[in-house]
Amino acid sequence: METGVSEGRSGEGGGPAAARRGRFDRGILVYALLALGAGIACLALKGPAETMVAMADSLGLLVSIVPLVIGGVLMAGYAQHLMNREKTSRWLGGASSLRGLTVATVAGALTPGGPFASFALVLVLHRAGVGLPLLVTYLTSWSVLGAARVIVWEIPLLGWDFTALRLLVSLPLPFAAGLVTAAMQRKFAGYRFAEAGER
Amino acid sequence: MLGALLFIYGLLGAVALHAHMRRGPAVHAEAAGTALAQLKPLALRMPLAMLLAGFLSHLVPPEMIVGSVGAEAGLRGILAAALVGMLMPGGPMVTFPVVIVLFRNDAGAAQMVALLTSWAVLAGHRVLAFEAPLLGWRFVALRLVPSLPLPVIAGLLAQAVLDARLG
Repeated sequence: METGVSEGRSGEGGGPAAARRGRFDRGILVYALLALGAGIACLALKGPAETMVAMADSLGLLVSIVPLVIGGVLMAGYAQHLMNREKTSRWLGGASSLRGLTVATVAGALTPGGPFASFALVLVLHRAGVGLPLLVTYLTSWSVLGAARVIVWEIPLLGWDFTALRLLVSLPLPFAAGLVTAAMQRKFAGYRFAEAGER
Repeated sequence: MLGALLFIYGLLGAVALHAHMRRGPAVHAEAAGTALAQLKPLALRMPLAMLLAGFLSHLVPPEMIVGSVGAEAGLRGILAAALVGMLMPGGPMVTFPVVIVLFRNDAGAAQMVALLTSWAVLAGHRVLAFEAPLLGWRFVALRLVPSLPLPVIAGLLAQAVLDARLG
Protein backbone atom coordinates (compact mmCIF):
# COMPACT_ATOMS: atom_id res chain seq x y z
CA MET A 1 0.00 0.00 0.00
CA GLU A 2 2.71 2.43 0.95
CA THR A 3 4.79 1.69 -2.11
CA GLY A 4 1.82 2.13 -4.40
CA VAL A 5 1.12 5.60 -3.05
CA SER A 6 4.69 6.87 -3.02
CA GLU A 7 5.45 5.48 -6.47
CA GLY A 8 2.35 7.17 -7.74
CA ARG A 9 3.72 10.50 -6.62
CA SER A 10 7.17 10.23 -8.09
CA GLY A 11 6.36 8.87 -11.54
CA GLU A 12 3.56 10.10 -13.66
CA GLY A 13 3.06 7.29 -16.16
CA GLY A 14 3.86 4.16 -14.16
CA GLY A 15 2.83 5.50 -10.76
CA PRO A 16 -0.93 5.29 -10.92
CA ALA A 17 -0.70 2.00 -12.78
CA ALA A 18 1.46 0.66 -9.97
CA ALA A 19 -1.04 1.98 -7.44
CA ARG A 20 -3.76 0.23 -9.38
CA ARG A 21 -1.87 -3.05 -9.34
CA GLY A 22 -1.36 -2.71 -5.61
CA ARG A 23 -5.02 -1.95 -5.17
CA PHE A 24 -5.92 -4.99 -7.26
CA ASP A 25 -4.13 -7.43 -4.97
CA ARG A 26 -5.19 -5.69 -1.76
CA GLY A 27 -8.74 -5.42 -2.99
CA ILE A 28 -9.09 -9.12 -3.67
CA LEU A 29 -7.56 -10.00 -0.31
CA VAL A 30 -9.81 -7.56 1.57
CA TYR A 31 -12.94 -8.85 -0.17
CA ALA A 32 -11.94 -12.46 0.40
CA LEU A 33 -11.30 -11.86 4.11
CA LEU A 34 -14.53 -9.89 4.57
CA ALA A 35 -16.59 -12.51 2.74
CA LEU A 36 -14.95 -15.31 4.71
CA GLY A 37 -15.51 -13.51 8.01
CA ALA A 38 -19.14 -12.76 7.21
CA GLY A 39 -19.65 -16.38 6.09
CA ILE A 40 -18.19 -17.75 9.33
CA ALA A 41 -20.28 -15.32 11.38
CA CYS A 42 -23.40 -16.34 9.45
CA LEU A 43 -22.65 -20.02 9.99
CA ALA A 44 -22.04 -19.52 13.70
CA LEU A 45 -25.01 -17.23 14.38
CA LYS A 46 -27.66 -18.42 11.91
CA GLY A 47 -26.72 -22.06 11.26
CA PRO A 48 -25.88 -23.96 8.06
CA ALA A 49 -29.37 -23.80 6.50
CA GLU A 50 -29.59 -20.02 6.47
CA THR A 51 -25.96 -19.77 5.36
CA MET A 52 -26.83 -21.87 2.31
CA VAL A 53 -29.79 -19.56 1.59
CA ALA A 54 -27.46 -16.55 1.83
CA MET A 55 -25.05 -18.16 -0.64
CA ALA A 56 -27.91 -18.97 -3.03
CA ASP A 57 -29.04 -15.32 -2.77
CA SER A 58 -25.55 -14.17 -3.70
CA LEU A 59 -25.42 -16.53 -6.68
CA GLY A 60 -28.79 -15.28 -7.89
CA LEU A 61 -27.69 -11.65 -7.62
CA LEU A 62 -24.43 -12.45 -9.43
CA VAL A 63 -26.17 -14.27 -12.29
CA SER A 64 -28.58 -11.39 -12.81
CA ILE A 65 -25.88 -8.70 -12.69
CA VAL A 66 -23.09 -10.24 -14.81
CA PRO A 67 -24.74 -9.78 -18.25
CA LEU A 68 -25.52 -6.14 -17.39
CA VAL A 69 -21.98 -5.43 -16.23
CA ILE A 70 -20.46 -7.00 -19.36
CA GLY A 71 -22.73 -4.90 -21.59
CA GLY A 72 -21.96 -1.76 -19.62
CA VAL A 73 -18.20 -2.27 -19.62
CA LEU A 74 -18.23 -2.88 -23.38
CA MET A 75 -20.13 0.38 -23.80
CA ALA A 76 -17.56 2.21 -21.67
CA GLY A 77 -14.85 0.66 -23.86
CA TYR A 78 -16.37 2.18 -27.01
CA ALA A 79 -16.97 5.53 -25.34
CA GLN A 80 -13.34 5.74 -24.27
CA HIS A 81 -12.16 5.31 -27.86
CA LEU A 82 -14.65 7.89 -29.11
CA MET A 83 -13.76 10.59 -26.58
CA ASN A 84 -11.35 13.28 -27.68
CA ARG A 85 -9.42 14.30 -24.57
CA GLU A 86 -7.73 17.32 -26.17
CA LYS A 87 -10.99 18.71 -27.44
CA THR A 88 -12.53 18.35 -23.97
CA SER A 89 -9.70 20.22 -22.27
CA ARG A 90 -9.73 22.99 -24.87
CA TRP A 91 -13.46 23.33 -24.32
CA LEU A 92 -13.04 23.72 -20.58
CA GLY A 93 -9.88 25.81 -20.75
CA GLY A 94 -11.54 28.85 -22.31
CA ALA A 95 -14.65 28.77 -20.17
CA SER A 96 -15.39 30.92 -17.14
CA SER A 97 -18.08 31.68 -14.53
CA LEU A 98 -21.54 30.18 -14.89
CA ARG A 99 -20.85 28.96 -18.40
CA GLY A 100 -17.65 27.33 -17.18
CA LEU A 101 -19.48 25.62 -14.32
CA THR A 102 -22.11 24.33 -16.74
CA VAL A 103 -19.54 23.04 -19.22
CA ALA A 104 -17.56 21.38 -16.40
CA THR A 105 -20.74 19.75 -15.08
CA VAL A 106 -21.75 18.41 -18.51
CA ALA A 107 -18.20 17.20 -19.20
CA GLY A 108 -18.08 15.41 -15.84
CA ALA A 109 -21.42 13.72 -16.43
CA LEU A 110 -20.35 12.49 -19.86
CA THR A 111 -16.76 11.38 -19.14
CA PRO A 112 -16.62 7.63 -19.71
CA GLY A 113 -14.23 5.19 -18.17
CA GLY A 114 -13.11 4.53 -14.64
CA PRO A 115 -11.65 6.90 -12.04
CA PHE A 116 -8.24 6.76 -13.65
CA ALA A 117 -9.41 8.51 -16.83
CA SER A 118 -11.15 11.33 -14.93
CA PHE A 119 -8.32 12.06 -12.52
CA ALA A 120 -5.83 12.02 -15.38
CA LEU A 121 -8.03 14.51 -17.22
CA VAL A 122 -8.05 16.77 -14.15
CA LEU A 123 -4.26 16.86 -14.27
CA VAL A 124 -4.33 17.72 -17.97
CA LEU A 125 -6.92 20.47 -17.37
CA HIS A 126 -4.91 21.92 -14.49
CA ARG A 127 -1.83 22.11 -16.70
CA ALA A 128 -3.93 23.75 -19.39
CA GLY A 129 -4.73 26.53 -16.93
CA VAL A 130 -8.19 25.52 -15.70
CA GLY A 131 -8.82 26.91 -12.21
CA LEU A 132 -9.52 24.89 -9.05
CA PRO A 133 -13.29 25.69 -8.88
CA LEU A 134 -13.87 24.16 -12.30
CA LEU A 135 -11.71 21.13 -11.47
CA VAL A 136 -13.77 20.54 -8.32
CA THR A 137 -17.00 21.05 -10.29
CA TYR A 138 -15.87 18.59 -12.95
CA LEU A 139 -14.90 15.88 -10.43
CA THR A 140 -18.06 16.36 -8.36
CA SER A 141 -20.19 16.09 -11.48
CA TRP A 142 -18.34 13.00 -12.63
CA SER A 143 -18.91 11.48 -9.15
CA VAL A 144 -22.60 12.19 -8.69
CA LEU A 145 -23.92 12.51 -12.27
CA GLY A 146 -21.51 10.22 -14.17
CA ALA A 147 -23.60 8.63 -16.91
CA ALA A 148 -21.45 5.50 -17.12
CA ARG A 149 -22.14 4.50 -13.51
CA VAL A 150 -25.83 5.37 -13.80
CA ILE A 151 -26.28 3.24 -16.92
CA VAL A 152 -24.15 0.29 -15.86
CA TRP A 153 -25.13 0.02 -12.21
CA GLU A 154 -27.82 2.31 -10.90
CA ILE A 155 -30.72 1.93 -13.38
CA PRO A 156 -30.44 -1.88 -13.64
CA LEU A 157 -29.97 -2.45 -9.90
CA LEU A 158 -31.99 0.30 -8.21
CA GLY A 159 -34.60 1.16 -10.85
CA TRP A 160 -35.67 4.28 -12.75
CA ASP A 161 -37.65 5.93 -9.95
CA PHE A 162 -34.83 6.02 -7.45
CA THR A 163 -32.24 6.94 -10.08
CA ALA A 164 -34.37 9.85 -11.32
CA LEU A 165 -34.83 11.15 -7.76
CA ARG A 166 -31.11 10.95 -7.03
CA LEU A 167 -30.08 12.60 -10.31
CA LEU A 168 -32.60 15.40 -9.80
CA VAL A 169 -31.31 16.35 -6.37
CA SER A 170 -27.68 15.89 -7.50
CA LEU A 171 -27.90 18.42 -10.35
CA PRO A 172 -27.07 21.46 -8.16
CA LEU A 173 -24.20 19.72 -6.31
CA PRO A 174 -21.37 20.31 -8.84
CA PHE A 175 -22.33 24.01 -9.04
CA ALA A 176 -22.44 24.28 -5.23
CA ALA A 177 -19.01 22.65 -4.88
CA GLY A 178 -17.50 24.95 -7.53
CA LEU A 179 -19.03 28.11 -6.07
CA VAL A 180 -17.91 27.22 -2.53
CA THR A 181 -14.39 26.58 -3.86
CA ALA A 182 -14.39 29.98 -5.59
CA ALA A 183 -15.62 31.64 -2.38
CA MET A 184 -12.87 29.92 -0.37
CA GLN A 185 -10.32 31.17 -2.88
CA ARG A 186 -11.53 34.74 -2.47
CA LYS A 187 -11.36 34.46 1.32
CA PHE A 188 -8.09 32.56 1.71
CA ALA A 189 -5.11 33.39 -0.48
CA GLY A 190 -3.59 29.96 0.24
CA TYR A 191 -6.56 28.02 -1.15
CA ARG A 192 -4.71 27.19 -4.36
CA PHE A 193 -3.77 23.99 -6.11
CA ALA A 194 -0.18 23.75 -7.24
CA GLU A 195 1.51 20.51 -8.15
CA ALA A 196 4.58 19.44 -6.22
CA GLY A 197 7.54 21.31 -7.65
CA GLU A 198 5.39 24.14 -8.96
CA ARG A 199 5.30 26.03 -5.70
CA MET B 1 -34.49 -7.23 -15.23
CA LEU B 2 -35.36 -7.95 -18.88
CA GLY B 3 -36.03 -4.26 -19.42
CA ALA B 4 -32.59 -3.39 -18.05
CA LEU B 5 -30.95 -5.98 -20.33
CA LEU B 6 -32.74 -4.64 -23.41
CA PHE B 7 -31.81 -1.08 -22.42
CA ILE B 8 -28.11 -1.84 -21.93
CA TYR B 9 -27.67 -3.95 -25.06
CA GLY B 10 -29.78 -1.62 -27.19
CA LEU B 11 -27.60 1.30 -26.14
CA LEU B 12 -24.47 -0.80 -26.67
CA GLY B 13 -25.61 -1.57 -30.23
CA ALA B 14 -26.16 2.11 -30.96
CA VAL B 15 -22.78 3.14 -29.51
CA ALA B 16 -21.00 0.35 -31.44
CA LEU B 17 -22.66 1.43 -34.68
CA HIS B 18 -21.74 5.06 -34.10
CA ALA B 19 -18.13 4.10 -33.34
CA HIS B 20 -18.01 1.89 -36.44
CA MET B 21 -19.10 4.75 -38.66
CA ARG B 22 -16.72 7.28 -37.13
CA ARG B 23 -13.63 5.20 -36.54
CA GLY B 24 -13.96 2.17 -38.83
CA PRO B 25 -14.06 -1.54 -37.98
CA ALA B 26 -10.78 -1.48 -35.98
CA VAL B 27 -12.60 0.27 -33.12
CA HIS B 28 -14.38 -2.94 -32.10
CA ALA B 29 -11.15 -4.73 -31.20
CA GLU B 30 -9.90 -1.64 -29.32
CA ALA B 31 -13.13 -1.32 -27.35
CA ALA B 32 -13.14 -5.03 -26.54
CA GLY B 33 -9.54 -4.78 -25.31
CA THR B 34 -10.38 -1.85 -23.03
CA ALA B 35 -13.46 -3.65 -21.74
CA LEU B 36 -11.51 -6.85 -21.06
CA ALA B 37 -8.89 -4.91 -19.09
CA GLN B 38 -11.69 -3.39 -16.99
CA LEU B 39 -13.43 -6.73 -16.46
CA LYS B 40 -10.36 -8.63 -15.33
CA PRO B 41 -10.13 -7.13 -11.83
CA LEU B 42 -13.92 -7.52 -11.47
CA ALA B 43 -13.90 -11.24 -12.28
CA LEU B 44 -12.81 -12.26 -8.78
CA ARG B 45 -14.06 -9.26 -6.86
CA MET B 46 -17.67 -9.34 -7.98
CA PRO B 47 -18.42 -12.90 -6.78
CA LEU B 48 -16.70 -12.12 -3.46
CA ALA B 49 -18.61 -8.85 -3.08
CA MET B 50 -21.95 -10.56 -3.82
CA LEU B 51 -21.13 -13.27 -1.32
CA LEU B 52 -20.32 -10.61 1.28
CA ALA B 53 -23.57 -8.76 0.55
CA GLY B 54 -25.54 -12.01 0.76
CA PHE B 55 -24.11 -12.93 4.16
CA LEU B 56 -24.52 -9.40 5.50
CA SER B 57 -28.18 -9.25 4.51
CA HIS B 58 -28.80 -12.32 6.67
CA LEU B 59 -26.59 -11.15 9.53
CA VAL B 60 -27.79 -7.58 10.04
CA PRO B 61 -31.19 -7.50 11.72
CA PRO B 62 -33.75 -5.57 9.60
CA GLU B 63 -34.99 -3.60 12.64
CA MET B 64 -31.53 -2.13 13.01
CA ILE B 65 -31.49 -0.89 9.41
CA VAL B 66 -34.98 0.58 9.60
CA GLY B 67 -34.15 2.28 12.89
CA SER B 68 -30.92 3.84 11.63
CA VAL B 69 -31.52 4.62 7.94
CA GLY B 70 -35.26 4.03 7.50
CA ALA B 71 -37.54 6.72 6.07
CA GLU B 72 -38.70 7.62 9.60
CA ALA B 73 -35.14 8.29 10.76
CA GLY B 74 -35.16 11.69 9.01
CA LEU B 75 -32.09 13.91 9.28
CA ARG B 76 -30.42 11.58 11.77
CA GLY B 77 -30.83 8.76 9.22
CA ILE B 78 -29.41 10.96 6.47
CA LEU B 79 -26.34 11.72 8.60
CA ALA B 80 -25.90 8.02 9.47
CA ALA B 81 -26.23 7.02 5.80
CA ALA B 82 -23.70 9.68 4.75
CA LEU B 83 -21.24 8.26 7.28
CA VAL B 84 -21.79 4.70 5.99
CA GLY B 85 -21.26 5.90 2.41
CA MET B 86 -17.99 7.56 3.32
CA LEU B 87 -16.66 4.37 4.91
CA MET B 88 -17.85 2.03 2.14
CA PRO B 89 -14.80 -0.11 1.37
CA GLY B 90 -15.09 -0.49 -2.39
CA GLY B 91 -16.38 0.42 -5.81
CA PRO B 92 -19.84 0.05 -7.33
CA MET B 93 -19.79 -3.74 -7.14
CA VAL B 94 -19.81 -3.52 -3.36
CA THR B 95 -21.89 -0.40 -2.84
CA PHE B 96 -24.87 -1.15 -5.08
CA PRO B 97 -25.48 -4.65 -3.66
CA VAL B 98 -25.30 -3.16 -0.14
CA VAL B 99 -27.90 -0.53 -1.10
CA ILE B 100 -30.13 -3.29 -2.55
CA VAL B 101 -29.89 -5.17 0.74
CA LEU B 102 -30.72 -1.99 2.69
CA PHE B 103 -33.71 -1.27 0.43
CA ARG B 104 -35.03 -4.81 0.94
CA ASN B 105 -35.00 -4.01 4.64
CA ASP B 106 -36.98 -0.80 4.22
CA ALA B 107 -34.25 1.79 4.16
CA GLY B 108 -35.53 5.26 3.19
CA ALA B 109 -34.96 6.61 -0.35
CA ALA B 110 -33.65 9.99 0.90
CA GLN B 111 -31.23 8.17 3.21
CA MET B 112 -30.00 6.01 0.30
CA VAL B 113 -29.50 9.16 -1.82
CA ALA B 114 -27.29 10.50 0.99
CA LEU B 115 -25.38 7.19 1.17
CA LEU B 116 -24.70 7.00 -2.57
CA THR B 117 -23.75 10.69 -2.81
CA SER B 118 -21.38 10.34 0.11
CA TRP B 119 -19.81 7.24 -1.39
CA ALA B 120 -19.53 8.97 -4.79
CA VAL B 121 -17.89 12.23 -3.68
CA LEU B 122 -15.98 11.23 -0.54
CA ALA B 123 -15.13 7.55 -1.23
CA GLY B 124 -12.00 6.75 0.72
CA HIS B 125 -10.86 3.87 -1.47
CA ARG B 126 -10.84 6.02 -4.60
CA VAL B 127 -8.94 8.81 -2.88
CA LEU B 128 -6.28 6.33 -1.74
CA ALA B 129 -6.01 4.42 -4.99
CA PHE B 130 -6.28 7.17 -7.61
CA GLU B 131 -6.72 10.73 -6.46
CA ALA B 132 -3.89 11.07 -3.94
CA PRO B 133 -1.27 9.29 -6.09
CA LEU B 134 -2.17 11.24 -9.22
CA LEU B 135 -3.06 14.71 -7.91
CA GLY B 136 -1.50 14.78 -4.43
CA TRP B 137 -2.95 15.19 -0.94
CA ARG B 138 -3.17 18.95 -1.22
CA PHE B 139 -5.67 18.65 -4.06
CA VAL B 140 -7.59 15.99 -2.10
CA ALA B 141 -7.93 18.37 0.85
CA LEU B 142 -8.94 21.32 -1.35
CA ARG B 143 -11.66 19.21 -2.99
CA LEU B 144 -12.94 17.59 0.20
CA VAL B 145 -13.68 20.88 1.99
CA PRO B 146 -16.48 21.99 -0.37
CA SER B 147 -17.62 18.37 -0.87
CA LEU B 148 -18.23 17.41 2.77
CA PRO B 149 -21.75 18.89 3.09
CA LEU B 150 -22.97 17.62 -0.30
CA PRO B 151 -24.33 14.20 0.84
CA VAL B 152 -26.48 15.82 3.53
CA ILE B 153 -27.72 18.49 1.08
CA ALA B 154 -28.65 15.76 -1.44
CA GLY B 155 -30.43 13.73 1.24
CA LEU B 156 -32.44 16.73 2.49
CA LEU B 157 -33.37 17.75 -1.08
CA ALA B 158 -34.51 14.18 -1.80
CA GLN B 159 -36.56 14.23 1.39
CA ALA B 160 -38.19 17.51 0.30
CA VAL B 161 -39.01 16.05 -3.14
CA LEU B 162 -40.51 12.92 -1.58
CA ASP B 163 -42.55 14.97 0.90
CA ALA B 164 -43.83 17.24 -1.88
CA ARG B 165 -44.87 14.21 -3.95
CA LEU B 166 -46.71 12.62 -1.05
CA GLY B 167 -48.27 15.83 0.19
